[in-house]
Amino acid sequence: MSSSFSASKHLSATLSTPLPPRRHNSHRPSSLKCHLSSSSQDSDSSNQTLLKTLSKTIALSSAAALLLHTTPLPTLLSNGSGDFGSGGSGLGGGGGGGGGGNWFGGGGGDGSGGFWSRLFSPASAIADESPSQEWDSHGLPANIVVQLNKLSGFKKYKISEILFFDRRRWKTVGTEDSFFEMVSLRPGGVYTKAQLQKELETLATCGMFEKVDLEGKTNADGTIGITISFTESTWQSADRFRCINVGLMPQSKPIEMDTDMTDKEKLEYFRSQEEDYKRRIQKARPCLLPMPVHMEIMQMLKEQGKVSARLLQKIRDRVQKWYQDEGYACAQVVNFGNLNTKEVVCEVVEGDITQLVIQFQDKLGNFVEGNTDVAVVQRELPKQLRPGYTFNIEAGKQALRNINSLALFSNIEVNPRPDEKNEGGIIVEIKLKELEQKTAEVSTEWSIVPGRGGRPTLASLQPGGTVTFEHRNLQGLNRSLIGSVTTSNFFNPQDDLAFKLEYAHPYLDGVYNPNNRTLRVSCFNSRKLSPVFTGGPGVDEVPPIWVDRAGVKANITENFTRQSKFTYGLVMEEITTRDESSHICANGQRVLPSGGISADGPPTTLSGTGIDRMAFLQANITRDNTKFVNGAIVGDRNVFQVDQGIGVGSNFPFFNRHQLTVTRFIQLMSVEEGASKPPPPVLVLHGHYGGCVGDLPSYDAFTLGGPYSVRGYNMGELGAARNILELAAELRVPVKGTHVYAFAEHGNDLGSSKDVKGNPTEVYRRMGHGSSYGVGLKLGLVRAEYAIDHNSGTGALFFRFGERF
Amino acid sequence: MGSQAIREWAGINTFAPATQTKLLELLGKLKQENVNTLTILVMGKGGVGKSSIVNSIIGERVVAISPFQSEGPRPVMVSRSRAGFTLNVIDTPGLIEGGYINNMALDIIKSFLLNKTIDVLLYVDRLDVYRVDNLDKLVAKAITDSFGKGIWSKALIALTHAQFSPPDGLPYDEFFSKRSEALLKVIRSGARLKKDDSQDSTIPVVLVENSARCNKNESDEKVLPNGTAWISWLVQTITEVALNRSESIHVDKKLIDGPNPNQSGKLWIPLIFALQYFFVMKPIEGFIKNDIANESRPSWETFE
Repeated sequence: MSSSFSASKHLSATLSTPLPPRRHNSHRPSSLKCHLSSSSQDSDSSNQTLLKTLSKTIALSSAAALLLHTTPLPTLLSNGSGDFGSGGSGLGGGGGGGGGGNWFGGGGGDGSGGFWSRLFSPASAIADESPSQEWDSHGLPANIVVQLNKLSGFKKYKISEILFFDRRRWKTVGTEDSFFEMVSLRPGGVYTKAQLQKELETLATCGMFEKVDLEGKTNADGTIGITISFTESTWQSADRFRCINVGLMPQSKPIEMDTDMTDKEKLEYFRSQEEDYKRRIQKARPCLLPMPVHMEIMQMLKEQGKVSARLLQKIRDRVQKWYQDEGYACAQVVNFGNLNTKEVVCEVVEGDITQLVIQFQDKLGNFVEGNTDVAVVQRELPKQLRPGYTFNIEAGKQALRNINSLALFSNIEVNPRPDEKNEGGIIVEIKLKELEQKTAEVSTEWSIVPGRGGRPTLASLQPGGTVTFEHRNLQGLNRSLIGSVTTSNFFNPQDDLAFKLEYAHPYLDGVYNPNNRTLRVSCFNSRKLSPVFTGGPGVDEVPPIWVDRAGVKANITENFTRQSKFTYGLVMEEITTRDESSHICANGQRVLPSGGISADGPPTTLSGTGIDRMAFLQANITRDNTKFVNGAIVGDRNVFQVDQGIGVGSNFPFFNRHQLTVTRFIQLMSVEEGASKPPPPVLVLHGHYGGCVGDLPSYDAFTLGGPYSVRGYNMGELGAARNILELAAELRVPVKGTHVYAFAEHGNDLGSSKDVKGNPTEVYRRMGHGSSYGVGLKLGLVRAEYAIDHNSGTGALFFRFGERF
Repeated sequence: MGSQAIREWAGINTFAPATQTKLLELLGKLKQENVNTLTILVMGKGGVGKSSIVNSIIGERVVAISPFQSEGPRPVMVSRSRAGFTLNVIDTPGLIEGGYINNMALDIIKSFLLNKTIDVLLYVDRLDVYRVDNLDKLVAKAITDSFGKGIWSKALIALTHAQFSPPDGLPYDEFFSKRSEALLKVIRSGARLKKDDSQDSTIPVVLVENSARCNKNESDEKVLPNGTAWISWLVQTITEVALNRSESIHVDKKLIDGPNPNQSGKLWIPLIFALQYFFVMKPIEGFIKNDIANESRPSWETFE
């Protein structure tokens, strides 16, 4: 009790000193410097790196410019002093970071608390009033010590140096001392007497010092050197540590103590304050701070013996560091209470979210009523951003990513903003700029195609291009209609006109239903060269067959996770097979030994006419839990797809065509995760089984060979079969930011080539099975690989785009 | 060909009397067994003497022999009747063209044979070849693929150019047995005949010498270097094969097209689909649920 008296005596002095002007500013508390602590230098930079890394991740996910503001907007601050930007930059050397630390206004209950309010905002107001560069000479003889009150009130003094003198240790401390950051004066700055007085007041009231003095020493050049001599505050040693969340709690206002109180009254007063504080502690919610950190701090307390201001600073830094590291960017230690008892109470404002606001902005940044249904955005937000949770920057980033993946907005900002009505509360503001709903795009290209005799002529110059139109976010529910038409020759678009029209309807079960099912209806056409009609090795040239598909597809996609999904729907299509000259053909052609061409090869369609129409059900389930470990993909991916004919179409096709793909990316070595750390070596095992029971037209036969089947062979070079099995293994070893790999693959028709009508595998003299092995190097998006085809034993170098698996 | 009146088998008279007697005896034997028609399909690689054999059997020059060039691409059926017995011999073009099976020739043969019954397959190759190669296998495979494995129980192998002296003074019979053994082996593998298939019907091998300069014995029969009169031997073996218990091969549309792979298993599709749903899709869905449950979450997501 007696010890607490001494502290409170000191404190009473603190509290009775007139508040600095900025304290009177009722808005000050709102100038919450989120994330900034007094050691603003580090946190500042960490903040910036955080922003940097964030913008990096965002840049990867979208071209749209996005920003996550981790600091309150400057305009929110009532004066420039708290402006994070100017504060940070003005501080250069890492001073007080300008945040008005009146987090807890009047200070804590039992008196010994409260000083931190100043401690955390040591930067005095003068720091912000940009010192003018003109200064006056002191006009005194050089090398004399001048008391602060002896200085002239009309002069602007230039400070040549600032020295700290620790009276307890009886020596000058360097600028590296943790106290140095408390002072906003800078050598070289120009200050008036009033400013210096204010600075001294600030230091005196911050609670760090029992006693602090400021004196000047005149220099010959008219500048003065400043010496701040201080005695550090200390308290009784403690062995317990407690961290409480005082966010959203009303700050207890101390009753002004009458100077003419009797001792008894004083005792009464302190007791009541103590009671208040106890109640406060009880009311306070527990902290997120985990046990290990508690233990660590208790250890610090034990080792230290007496609780000193420096120790409290250390504790504060440790506690705040934990919060920063965990992403609780708005958490801040605001006070230490209960000093001079066995238990140190650390009061933290963690940054409780009181409100979540979604706002739409137009191009100029004005707030507008958005077209998008707010629920569409809300369902993308992690629940940790909802009121009642503690603001975490990672949750903010997650929200940013999720909203970005909607592809509805050109700019997304997630801002934590201090809640003015609710001290210690955070309002999460999400500001969105919507993309144009309707867009149309025309891209053109000219191509020169070989004319007669293989030489390009003027007539062979072809204008081609794509016309795309998009109507996004219909009814604000992210429904979209996208259409595109592509041709390589606008003069003759009937040659290869490709079109696609797709309507997507997300939130099929309602925008408030957690189920995420999307309906897609699309019209499409495509033209592909059939790999079924490809010759084996030694077969010169098999006349190509083009497979044109046009149809309608309607399916429902159910997203389980970002990568795993289940899609089911109906496909109706017309398949037309054409020969080189675009004539419909019913059979593949083959080159006779005599050199002639006969058109009695394997049938191309089920109907035998060259045109098939069919409707079938299609289901696809994809399980994908792959993730990136330092850039290397690791995990499992399984895909099962089944096309179930329902007997509707030419020749009443009834079939069950199924494929199962199993790919495992096995991490062979555990590595430390982090940016610029090397990825682990990975073994990829891959198996693909495809099979069909029932009607199987040649265009649906499974082909073997090709960059996505068995490398080292051409597309379809190994055969076209009813059932196939492909096995592959690849070992990836990281080398200097990329990786090299070795692979072996095998594809087998399981003897089912003959079960494809017309046996195209045999007609075009293919083996029906084959293996290959080789090595490769990944160069950005391109794979350069040397593959040896096991059937002929010859190797070749290939360049491929994209990934095999 | 059906419309064409079947000519009398006059060529039989050109054979030596001993041979004639033998042949007539065999024909009688066939008639006893109620066999009034005998259709022999002659197949083999090009240039091994298929057409010559046909001519030798009929005893006339019914098929044009075209040495040094591939014969006509069409199969030819020669029919002769004698005493109410009809003998059909179908000569076919060579199956090999440019190192591969000539699929077109095979297709033509198949469509030619439509609705005919093959009683005997006469697979022809040369005796004076030391090695067997992949081509023999391919031919055997093509025949099996076209007519089914069953045809090999109605098959015999004729080795032409039998008037040939083996190298290095190897005894003639030993060379013959080695050659036929090797050929049988490759045919068996090409035709995918298993050991069990071959035990009840060992494919007989006969020797043939079509050359006009073929040695003759005292009764003017054409004989092989080991003294066997080969025409009688050939016809006798044909008769034996025709009369063995195996079914003759009737070539119908189904046989030519092969089993329609699009039809097989169709009935099972609903069941397959159900199995896929319950045993593939459901487990994968379970895996996904499991993944979601086991997902490692950042600490901020787990704090409440």
